[in-house]
Amino acid sequence: MTISRRNVLLGGAASAALLPLAKPARAQVKEVVIGVIYPLSGASAQIGVDAQKAFETAADIINKDYDFALPMAKGEGFTGLGGAKVRLVFADHQADPQKGRAEAERLITQEKVSAIVGTYQSAVAVTVSQICERYQIPFLSADNSSPSLHRRGLKYYFRAAPHDEMFSTAMFDFFDALKKKGQKIETLALFHEDTIFGTDSANAQIKLAADRGYKIVADIKYRANSPSLTAEVQQLKAANADVLMPSSYTTDGILLIKTMGELGYKAKNIVAQDAGFSEKALYDAVGDKIPGVISRGSFSLDLAAKRPMVGKINDMFKEKSGKDFNDYSSRQFMGLIVMADAINRAKSTDGEKIREALVATDMPGESTIMPWAKVKFDELGQNNNADPVLLQYNGGKFVTIFPPQAAVADAIWPMP
Amino acid sequence: MTAATIIQSLASGLLMGLLYGLLAVGLALIFGLMDVTNFAHGEFLMLAMYLTFFLFMFWAVDPLLSIPLVAAGMFVFGAVIYLVIIRFAMRAKANIGMVQIFATFGLAILMRGLAQFFFTPDYRSIPASMLGGKTISIFGVFLPVPQLVGALISIAAFGALYFFMKKTDFGRALEATREDAGAVALVGIDKNKVFALGWGLGSALIGLAGGVMAIFFYIYPDVGASFALIAYVTVALGGFGSVFGAFAGGIIVGLVEATTAMILPPSLKSVGIYAVYLLVVFVRPRGLFGSI
Amino acid sequence: MDSFTQRRRRDLILAAALAAIAACVPFFVKDVYVQNIMVLTLMYAALSQAWNILGGYCGQISLGHALYFGLGAYTTALLFTKFGVLPWFGMLGGGIISALIALALGYPTFRLRGHYFVIATIVIAEIGFLLFHNWDYAGAALGIDIPVRGDSWAKFQFTRSKLPFYYFALVFCCVAWFITWWLEDSKWGFWWRAVKDNPDAAESLGVVVFNSKMGAAAVSAFLTAIGGAFYAQFVSYIDPESVMTFQFSLLMALPAVLGGIGTLWGPVLGAVILIPMTELTRSFIGGSGRGVDLILYGAVIVVISLARPDGLIGLFSRRPASKGVPQ
Repeated sequence: MTISRRNVLLGGAASAALLPLAKPARAQVKEVVIGVIYPLSGASAQIGVDAQKAFETAADIINKDYDFALPMAKGEGFTGLGGAKVRLVFADHQADPQKGRAEAERLITQEKVSAIVGTYQSAVAVTVSQICERYQIPFLSADNSSPSLHRRGLKYYFRAAPHDEMFSTAMFDFFDALKKKGQKIETLALFHEDTIFGTDSANAQIKLAADRGYKIVADIKYRANSPSLTAEVQQLKAANADVLMPSSYTTDGILLIKTMGELGYKAKNIVAQDAGFSEKALYDAVGDKIPGVISRGSFSLDLAAKRPMVGKINDMFKEKSGKDFNDYSSRQFMGLIVMADAINRAKSTDGEKIREALVATDMPGESTIMPWAKVKFDELGQNNNADPVLLQYNGGKFVTIFPPQAAVADAIWPMP
Repeated sequence: MTAATIIQSLASGLLMGLLYGLLAVGLALIFGLMDVTNFAHGEFLMLAMYLTFFLFMFWAVDPLLSIPLVAAGMFVFGAVIYLVIIRFAMRAKANIGMVQIFATFGLAILMRGLAQFFFTPDYRSIPASMLGGKTISIFGVFLPVPQLVGALISIAAFGALYFFMKKTDFGRALEATREDAGAVALVGIDKNKVFALGWGLGSALIGLAGGVMAIFFYIYPDVGASFALIAYVTVALGGFGSVFGAFAGGIIVGLVEATTAMILPPSLKSVGIYAVYLLVVFVRPRGLFGSI
Repeated sequence: MDSFTQRRRRDLILAAALAAIAACVPFFVKDVYVQNIMVLTLMYAALSQAWNILGGYCGQISLGHALYFGLGAYTTALLFTKFGVLPWFGMLGGGIISALIALALGYPTFRLRGHYFVIATIVIAEIGFLLFHNWDYAGAALGIDIPVRGDSWAKFQFTRSKLPFYYFALVFCCVAWFITWWLEDSKWGFWWRAVKDNPDAAESLGVVVFNSKMGAAAVSAFLTAIGGAFYAQFVSYIDPESVMTFQFSLLMALPAVLGGIGTLWGPVLGAVILIPMTELTRSFIGGSGRGVDLILYGAVIVVISLARPDGLIGLFSRRPASKGVPQ
């Protein structure tokens, strides 16, 4: 009697040691809490507020039953966790690394989040991912594109989307392809803001230009949100490069295009590093002045023709936000889906288990809303299969023009 | 760098300078002449830009035509802000400057929050207007029409302010009130009435700037932050108590900025402006033309 | 003079009691989020106290203290990441560099009066910001990511625990307070009061007052830089946007102004009210994305500065608030 009881106890203890969380988790988890850290007030609030809508759309798809070929769409909630629902907790970092850090800590210790997604500003991603590392909570960079982020040796850092070097490589591949077709592209002008985003983007472009034999005739670093860009545009005009390559957010993008018009400078071609050049606000303001502008991106609505769910999910987002998915909101949406899929496979809300599931992620491109080959993280947590695309703005909408396997139209070059 | 580029840079710098003058003329009255610190100057400008934008969006009023309406609206707003907030901030017995700074700093944050709440943080802009996007070219030097009009309005505004301060009773009363509120009370001038009108007028001048800026600039709740510091430097560079000083300050700031951008990387172009300010006040502690 | 001495003794006892209570708080408050707010509160109390020495007691309103804060943070982070110098030496080095720069800048700027001085401090800090923002060796816009390799007092880094930072901030705050307390009764303090009560006295005291203000600027800059070095270790990442902007300069002055400028207790009181309010409104209302946290924060500042233009300290004083400076 005593012996058998002891055996039972021992057996129980042994199995508990082997599966520390799996059993209670499956029985008890009613909801999975995921922290979402964005700038919700201050100068970048617009991005954060749109991001909220993108994440809510993703949460809706996770929690309800949809017939999409997208992970987490079928069935309600997390099937691997007995139908537990996802609950998002939004936090405002106001573009301040210290505040982002404090919010990450609050979400982990008070809200007991299982994972964190963020952050738009790369500087904030630095501190948020540090905190996540310390607490062993997975962090997924939904839309940070600074290449330095995944090279810091963090175990809990993941990025499903491309970074600036990948984006810039796509641009130079595109130039090379055009040159093969007989177009003349020799000189480039860089126009980038003085932030992490602008600096990283320009560094990648300078390196690629040197490697592939393009001449940079102007490298203009400007102060973000300047009251005037007149002096900067004059230098661009004087250089009159074959391609103007801006890395600017919406505000400076609008001012750049308006100032170019005022100073009688028409760029031969513009190939933009996304950011402002994927925002509806910019095209509402100056779209008519830049027909044929090309921007890199990781999303394109014309994918809806091949994958009908892209259009349907876009409609869901549009109902909430009044906007189509753009490069940011699509990456944010996909970020949450990738994270939720990992949690579902982990069948646990434990950070280490989720991390293991993320490492094992192998999501085919067809089951995402992105033009990516697949989602599979390398040892640094970067998805190198997230092929960027180039989009051309034409007739009021974007058309994918590069790479060939994703293109739906030929590029109009030079810009009309 | 060719001669054409230099001439274009200086011409653009001059236009920008006049525009900085226009951005600062309201501050020159409130801060420079009445000696009241307004750290919400940028947010007043933001409000004026939104007013212009909404007049355009809902009633299709062209920004150029809505300028008087915006100025009138801003006049009321400025006078009310004085009566509701600034008047009390001036009661402090010690460190009155600091209290004003922080009362108006709080007001600035409050206005940004309210703008985000009511107008959303979306970036707005006026896509097409009578002047927007138009530009004229003289011997290859491009002069954008909105900035040209802005420059003319700027000159007119400074002229009017100068006339107003020197030639009208009210202008003299305003100056006298700043110097000694107690003494003017004895001759029957009500300080609050004079200052409320002064704030209204100063805000109406910000309204002018907002109307012009809305033609070619983007609009969002934090837009004022880009201009506020330049406006303070413009006023202080010209010297407190001088209308002409703020005008000259604007032009200098514009030209210095354009010149610096030719020498240093453009991301450092403000350094030139700040260095010139320091240089001027180290030599002339009351700015170029200041009297106080 | 007797009541002055009495008051000073009472202040010292009160400070010791408050410090003792503050030292015990972490035994009851285990939540790291709340501890984080307490660390920030103490840090801002100390920074504001440092600002108050120059801005409050000397009446030299500086809105450019972010420069010294940034210099402290950058000196520490650069020495550690580039040369492996322990942050304690970086902290001291940053303090000394800042104090020297404050002396160099004080010489031409103290001749300026009123708004000319305030704007000069703003643009000097802004130049510093722009230079760091474009200085590639110091990481430019990318900033400096301080690698955290585990808990260590020598390297002053702790992965999860906030307590070491809390106690450092507490000591820092006490030191800043004590220096202010000591200065109040020093020769310098006497001159500053004299100059404030009677601006004409400034003329006759001339050189000695100028020198004492230079001294105050150096002390103030030194302490501010210590705060910057602390912040770099606490956040373990710095970039110019987060340590050198104008907003930071305002945040250092704000607690002193709201609590009571030129008073011994004003900065502490202001920080205790302002910092938790900032953090809590952002955390619990900011998530809405509608700017309500800004509305509340701005409104509170407006209301306090209007209702209590001489600072909240007046609520605790039996004497009229305007006599913030002891007589």
